[in-house]
Amino acid sequence: MHERSGYDRILMISALILVVLGIVMIYSSSAFIAMQRYNTPFYFLRNQVVWAVIGIIGMVVAKNFDYKKLKSLSLPLIVISVLLLIIVLIPNIGKEVNGARRWLRVLGFSFQPSELAKLTLIISISAYIAKRSDRMGDFVYGFFPPVVLLGAFQIPIIFQPDIGTALGLGIMVITLLYIGGVKVPHILSLGIPLTPFIVKIVFNEGYRKKRLIAFIDPWSDPTGAGFQVIQSSLALGSGGIFGLGLGEGKQKLFFLPEPHTDFIYSLIGEELGFLGASLVIFLYLIILWRGTRIAVRTEDLFGRFLAMGLTIMIGVQAMMNLGVASGLLPPKGLPLPFVSFGGSSLLINMIALGILLNISKSINTISLAQSSSIKRESWVKSKSRKDSVNL
Amino acid sequence: MKRGIEIINRINRKRILLVSLFIALGFIIITLRVFLIMVIQHNQYMKRAERQHQKTIHIEPLRGTIYDRMGRELAVSVELESLYGVPSEIEDPKFVAAKLSSVLGMSYHSIEKRLEGHKNFIWLNRKLDPNSVKKIKDLSLDSKEIGFLTESKRFNPKRSLAGHLLGFVGMDNQGLEGVEFAYDKELKGEVGWLILERDALGRNIFPSKHNYKPSSSGKNLFLTIDEVIQHITEKELDKGMERWKAKGAMAIVMNPGTGEILSMVVRPEFNPNIVGSYKSSDWRNKAITDLYEPGSTFKVISSAAVLEEGIVKEKDLFDCSKGEIEVGGKIIRDAHRHGVLSFAEVIQKSSNVGAIQVGMKLGKNRFYKYIKDFGFGEKTEIDLPGESYGKVRETKKWSGTSIGAISIGQEIGVTPLQLLVAFSAIANNGYLMKPYIVSEIRDHEGKLVKSFKSQVVRKVISENTSKRLTDILRTVVEEGGTATKAAIEGNLVAGKTGTAQKIDPETGTYSHQKYVSSFVGFLPADDPKISIIVVVDEPQGAIYGGSVAAPIFKEIAEQVLTYLKIPIMEQGHSLLLSKGP
Repeated sequence: MHERSGYDRILMISALILVVLGIVMIYSSSAFIAMQRYNTPFYFLRNQVVWAVIGIIGMVVAKNFDYKKLKSLSLPLIVISVLLLIIVLIPNIGKEVNGARRWLRVLGFSFQPSELAKLTLIISISAYIAKRSDRMGDFVYGFFPPVVLLGAFQIPIIFQPDIGTALGLGIMVITLLYIGGVKVPHILSLGIPLTPFIVKIVFNEGYRKKRLIAFIDPWSDPTGAGFQVIQSSLALGSGGIFGLGLGEGKQKLFFLPEPHTDFIYSLIGEELGFLGASLVIFLYLIILWRGTRIAVRTEDLFGRFLAMGLTIMIGVQAMMNLGVASGLLPPKGLPLPFVSFGGSSLLINMIALGILLNISKSINTISLAQSSSIKRESWVKSKSRKDSVNL
Repeated sequence: MKRGIEIINRINRKRILLVSLFIALGFIIITLRVFLIMVIQHNQYMKRAERQHQKTIHIEPLRGTIYDRMGRELAVSVELESLYGVPSEIEDPKFVAAKLSSVLGMSYHSIEKRLEGHKNFIWLNRKLDPNSVKKIKDLSLDSKEIGFLTESKRFNPKRSLAGHLLGFVGMDNQGLEGVEFAYDKELKGEVGWLILERDALGRNIFPSKHNYKPSSSGKNLFLTIDEVIQHITEKELDKGMERWKAKGAMAIVMNPGTGEILSMVVRPEFNPNIVGSYKSSDWRNKAITDLYEPGSTFKVISSAAVLEEGIVKEKDLFDCSKGEIEVGGKIIRDAHRHGVLSFAEVIQKSSNVGAIQVGMKLGKNRFYKYIKDFGFGEKTEIDLPGESYGKVRETKKWSGTSIGAISIGQEIGVTPLQLLVAFSAIANNGYLMKPYIVSEIRDHEGKLVKSFKSQVVRKVISENTSKRLTDILRTVVEEGGTATKAAIEGNLVAGKTGTAQKIDPETGTYSHQKYVSSFVGFLPADDPKISIIVVVDEPQGAIYGGSVAAPIFKEIAEQVLTYLKIPIMEQGHSLLLSKGP
């Protein structure tokens, strides 16, 4: 509201704080493992810094790239994303880590096509909703096509296998469709054909089933399947209010699985305490607030859905990751946006941030000139006025 | 159309807010959850985490050695290996348990039970003999699952020698009885520790700063005990035990001039190396913990008192011809009927009738004073655990018969050590000495940490009285005395026999079958170097102190004198009791 120049600085600064915090914690969490695996404590740190630089470049480019032109990029993005998702499944091309093929190696960098898929889906479905906003209530012409597109993305991802990401994509897209105006019964109807699939997928693979059971009662097998859940709680619990101090965490010494990626939040809690842990959540809440604010204030429908879609993308991923780290959700390998180690995730989220900033630029110019008149016009009879005024 | 867009707009915005609030709610729930784990349950998680990160390795100090006065080892520590298991690493407890049970001689189930679970460390069997260690190592089990740690085990190389005196230690080398207990602080040294940080794979990681403290060895003790004298005492007491089929026996040899205990023996024997194979009552050092009625040996106390007080002289006569005397309505008899006896003869022949007359002349208040002055009813304060006070009633609790009973050593409870210490005061010109067992404490490099000097508790009687009493006590072993069997050719022995009826616990009256026979004495009488007490519990075949205990006394005394090179019938030579190295 008080910005004079174009974009939402609060949003950008919040995200950048998370990036810096991530880099610091990645070093703290990975130095020992890096020493063991690569003989240098800086391996993961260096990698992340390089990606952060690339990410900032990506953010700046996106910030200055008119988001409206993204609409026309939908189709090429879809084609590229699906191709990459299929290519990554091909043995010898996709890099297999821990039994899953999720990475492509390009020019010495590992890239995760499923990260690009998130962005592609948000952009293309936002464009779709904006175009058919008056028909979204229709099952066949409004609801069904994007669901098919979602399925096209999810299926190769499920084959990687990366159920967590597929599920995350589903949640993001469905939420976006809900905002776009699809009918709730339509969404619920998806549950009917999908239920057997979900049950089969979840219970088919031994490790996933174990994980789920372990989540329900982790102490039943603390060194086995419950290991991740317990170790994460132990890390958080040891932190207390003020934490053990930066670099003093003990859980990263192989107790915590993936301390620099999936469980970095547990380590933040262990070393920086409840203060650090709640700061992270606070920053996501700010991002959520600013993102929502941009979406609500944008009159352009594509901009609105895109802004909210990207906000949901960041928010849902963060929520799922934190939910796992705090033991509220069963373990699945999802990164913490801006914070976790992982180049493609960081780059995609930075681009998403750039796009959000670009959209925020346009709302601010509009709001300076027209906000009062628009408000009067479109909200004069609204009884939910209070909701928007405070945003 | 415009209206349609407006409606869509409204729906969009409403739903955006709803979704936004929903995500925000998610974050708030996570915050609450994190608050619960991190702040409210902090301690609980902290402890669990510490337990898995840290493994404390205790570095056991080497327990100090106990030497005799000549520097001969009596109790040492040897290093043995102990077997531990890491249940959290063991993949197949059944397999490991099956393998170990045959070698360890432990039941399969008990091992398996211990190996299950997720502890990071449990002892499986401690202080194993080298043979079993080799067998277990030959099983070549995973070294991550089980392993050995070196621990020290207490070992008494002379086995039961001085067993009661030395006492024993527990599994963690903590002193539990005897010298081991009394000087546990000095012997045990300080436990060192090393806290290792551990990763999830159980590998030890660089020890963190300030997490290491080296152990420091325990200090060595030098006792006043002489291994040879101890051995002589034990050997002769064993012979006596066997000869008289006694239930038990005790003997102490002491240097009356200093209070140093040269030997202290309790029978039945006790070997601290195999504590478990004895009844706990056999662990006790009964020479200082258990009370008995001293009987006639106690007549010496009233005698010292009457001589000191000038109430009676050696030649004073006492009519003992009746062979019995009435005290407070009770008749007390002599073992043999005597005629009229001089005071000296009353002691020499141990006449009860005479002794009671002496006691009555003394009177209960003065008698009581001397009893206390000689140290009865008080701890001798010897540096050993579990010492008894003895049982001496205050005069106001004495009955009419008490003066008579106490005059002949009844109605009173003493420990053998108390009686010996009292006798030693007579041998030591009336100075009552504090008995002690440890003469020096040295660190493991041999540097003196502390030495103990002899201490006078008080002067009980004059030098003159002690000389005169000694002369009377010499007649006890001479012709006409009760203990001719304690006489040593070529040396002067002063002593007194005692034959006390034990109180039958069933009837509460004096038993006619169960006796305690004793002899207390010192020699050479003209310049006492050693004092000895021999107490035989429930001898069979003979009951009199003169027959049962006196010969044992003689055997011990003779050999000890020879060992100490105390010249026969020569006077004025210095004693060759030398200290440790």
